[in-house]
Amino acid sequence: MMLTFTFPVESTTLARIGEVVRETGIKAGFNEEEIGDIQLAVDEACTNTILHGLKSDPNRNFELAVEWQRHEIVICIKERGEPFELSKVKKVDIAAPLEAREIGGLGIHFIYQLMDEVDYRTEEDGLKVFRMVKRKKSASAC
Amino acid sequence: MNIEKKTENGICQIFLEGRFDANTANLVEQAFKEQIQGGERHFILDLENVPFIASAGLRVILVIAKQLRSQQNGDLRISNLQPNVKKVFEISGLNNVLKIFDDHAAAMASYSQ
Repeated sequence: MMLTFTFPVESTTLARIGEVVRETGIKAGFNEEEIGDIQLAVDEACTNTILHGLKSDPNRNFELAVEWQRHEIVICIKERGEPFELSKVKKVDIAAPLEAREIGGLGIHFIYQLMDEVDYRTEEDGLKVFRMVKRKKSASAC
Repeated sequence: MNIEKKTENGICQIFLEGRFDANTANLVEQAFKEQIQGGERHFILDLENVPFIASAGLRVILVIAKQLRSQQNGDLRISNLQPNVKKVFEISGLNNVLKIFDDHAAAMASYSQ
């Protein structure tokens, strides 16, 4: 099953995306904790898209595509914004004491911690696609 | 995001209601800054009615906690995390550097110890 949404760069978008992700997570059969994980990862990715990719420009929008099968959900965020180098994002030291903790970088950290696959590519026509996959731990083998 | 503030026994308590994300983080940061400018140094942030927190929210908590501890001999303590919010603190490692309490009364009492 696949659903595609187009969202504008505006203040209500993140909350709406959270609701959409929750509804599709329930339909796909994920449990509450897994749905929470997916909601946070998608929120972080969309926030990066809005703030960095699309520079908070209210005249722009982006696409959220959600596809699920029995044991996994695949979420893609597609936009034509600024280039982004996923490999260059600085790793967060979560063991650092408070005074040494850096302020940024947690968003990507959460995405990698909560999702099973993460990748980012730029297609030939310039469309940027941020793809995340979450597999059910609660699924039983058939 | 709804923000309620109350000061009792020299402790400024801030109660949030709603999502704590990139859209609402600035409001919360501003609320803290106003109280700090007013002389408050010891805070409790109660998240009982916060069903969702993103890195933008943690960023505000981290900035304020660092400022209070390093510059003003104060502190920011957290109370009443919902399970999914607690998980976010754990994944970020902030549960090891901030004082977090299961309920508001325990957080208040911690300032007396």
